[in-house]
Amino acid sequence: MSEAFPAHTHGDDAVSVARHREDVMVGDVIVRHRFLSRFIHWASAVSFIVCLLTGLPIWTPIFGWMAFLFGGLSVCRWLHPWAGAFFFAACAGMFVHWAKEMVLKGKEKEWLGPKMVAYLSFAGEDLTVGKYNGGQKILFWLTSLGAVGLGLSGLVLWFPELFPPLLREAGILIHDGAFIAFVVVMIGHVYLGTAAEPGTFSAMTRGTVTKPWARLHHPAWYREVTGDGDDRK
Amino acid sequence: MGGQSLEVRRSSASLHGGATSLRSMPVVSKLIDTSTCIGCKACEVACQEWNDLPVVKTTQVGTYQTMPKTEANYWNLIKFDERALGDSVAWLMRKDQCMHCADPGCLAACPAPGAIVQYENGIVDVNPEACIGCKLCETGCPFDIPKYHVETSKMSKCTLCVDRVSVSLEPACVKACPTGCLHFGVKEDMVMLGNARVEQLKANGFPTAALYDPPGVGGTGVVTVLAHGDKPEWYGLPRDPQIPVAVSIWKKLLRPVGFIAIFGTLLGAVGHYMAVGPKQPKEPGPRA
Repeated sequence: MSEAFPAHTHGDDAVSVARHREDVMVGDVIVRHRFLSRFIHWASAVSFIVCLLTGLPIWTPIFGWMAFLFGGLSVCRWLHPWAGAFFFAACAGMFVHWAKEMVLKGKEKEWLGPKMVAYLSFAGEDLTVGKYNGGQKILFWLTSLGAVGLGLSGLVLWFPELFPPLLREAGILIHDGAFIAFVVVMIGHVYLGTAAEPGTFSAMTRGTVTKPWARLHHPAWYREVTGDGDDRK
Repeated sequence: MGGQSLEVRRSSASLHGGATSLRSMPVVSKLIDTSTCIGCKACEVACQEWNDLPVVKTTQVGTYQTMPKTEANYWNLIKFDERALGDSVAWLMRKDQCMHCADPGCLAACPAPGAIVQYENGIVDVNPEACIGCKLCETGCPFDIPKYHVETSKMSKCTLCVDRVSVSLEPACVKACPTGCLHFGVKEDMVMLGNARVEQLKANGFPTAALYDPPGVGGTGVVTVLAHGDKPEWYGLPRDPQIPVAVSIWKKLLRPVGFIAIFGTLLGAVGHYMAVGPKQPKEPGPRA
């Protein structure tokens, strides 16, 4: 911080704190994702969107119009693998950044089954949910797996002459299948992060969430960060 | 791409309206009789000359062959091979180039609208203006023919001299062949001529002679007489070429499945919002 602009004379304390720290309470709000976390997330999100918009017109001519956003199909063909490489690097960053926190522990494995359905029906509350619920952790592993599948098969499609015919064919199928699965999962991710659960999106923009939001969605994390007792406990 | 006067039968990545023609044209074909090929490579030179392709550096591969395989600027290549045949040896040479399949794998795999077209007369051609250089045609082709050129970032291959054919000339390679092992004409005639030659070969000590016109790709616009027809691999030809199954799965299965999955999920999200609504604290609290 420059001398000319000392801290706390302007702006928002929470945002200043959120540059470097997370899981802390600042006044009425809680910092959920520090700048680094948000940066990695958006690096992968933006590169994913570029990959999606440049890839769809190559996938089917129905989406040919998307190619004009970038200046034509040839530009898409050039840009797509580079954006893909960037996406893969960003996903690798997310993996390093979050892998430890995303290990499914004990009962969280139930999220692989009916618990996910129960969660999506927004019925009931689970007071044991920490900073990330089981669904988010599963999303993390699916994303990582998808990035590996898309990255490796993308490499084969980028340089087919280096690979035998069978591997090239596998490349087409894996890239295609992984892309479809990835888009389906991402639609769910974006929906839950915006319309379905209001208050969530700010965790990825300003980095902060409200206390009632934290108490509702991540009660154990809320108790840990605020030190508050929870009357529902 | 030449032959503006030719009508298009099929065009790559066209979901609807790929064909332009009401006119029917006879399907043309080239016949290669490998048993009378002397490996002189006049066809290679004629191809380079007519198509204004450069002099390309040769590669020593241990035979008379000019280079290991056709290249983006070298579309016509005599492939040489030697095989043990009893206590004798079979010295084989076959002119390799685009086979102009009736059911072209390159065209099926191509994602760029109009980059690969099949004219009414069966010739499969590239439109470089529409080609995006994605190399998917390289994977789609069972004969390893289309090649990517780094200078143009586009693929290229033999055009069957469509520019000559559309003004009633035979392809340059056929014109140059000194032994008459190359013929050009209507496909039925070429098949007839080829079969007649096969019968001749069978009667003269080549009982397994056959005409190579593989049905897996709907037959080819280049039909080949093989003296050892039971062993197409000897000539560098696949026994039963097919459009790669991955290309068919992509276009025929994964596309509709992907559409249903993606739009189904979008609709599911909207439906979920309407039926279950947002999950939020009863009192939203201060702005985050």
